Amino acid sequence: MTARILTFSSHGDTTLFEYDPATADMDEVNRMIAEYEAKTGAQPFDMATGDRISKVTKEQHEVLMVHPIAGG
Amino acid sequence: MESEGLFLLPFLALTLWRFVFTGMEWGWPVGGIDALRPRQNDLLWQRLPVDRSGLAVVADQRAQNYLRRIVALTGATHKGNCWFLDVDKTQFCVRSGHVTRLRDVTDPRRACEETCFYPAYKDMPKAEQIATALLQLKNNPALFDRWAVERSLAFKADGQVFTRTQ
Repeated sequence: MTARILTFSSHGDTTLFEYDPATADMDEVNRMIAEYEAKTGAQPFDMATGDRISKVTKEQHEVLMVHPIAGG
Repeated sequence: MESEGLFLLPFLALTLWRFVFTGMEWGWPVGGIDALRPRQNDLLWQRLPVDRSGLAVVADQRAQNYLRRIVALTGATHKGNCWFLDVDKTQFCVRSGHVTRLRDVTDPRRACEETCFYPAYKDMPKAEQIATALLQLKNNPALFDRWAVERSLAFKADGQVFTRTQ
């Protein structure tokens, strides 16, 4: 089963990358997520629970990177 | 009497002929070029998303699906143009680009506050903008105060200020 990291963008939902949780190096997955957060400010949310997560594990199969919001 | 009947016979035949053939003209199922031309009043044709405004329609439909999922995850309810979200005793009404906070849903004298919000991508489908706000407020309702007070700054879901230089 494939897991995926996605985000919302100008073009709607966009898959950032996919991996097989059974074989993937989760440290590498989390490193890529950290890089994306550093660049965009987006933080990971588990799409199964709606909760923000600090680290992605093999149990999460769909993770949404939620971008920052500004007030006005 | 019989001669009168014979006199009316051609008239009746002509009337019947017109009725039958006029009916056939409307009823024939295929008809050359007309049959190949897309019909603007065809409901199926109008419902094809790519025929109207292309991929934007598909993206909007997908965004609506994500919003429905996130509404279910956060326990929000949709009424009119507002998505109501309860976090403890606070209720938020999230609309496109606006959030209203009803401070205490059990207090009839509750104070209403409102602020605007802008996602990182301004062209993001509206449904995804609302979904983003719902997820963030459910996890961190204090973000509302930051959006309302520190208007020129962008905040990450955990409440930290985000600057492009990070």
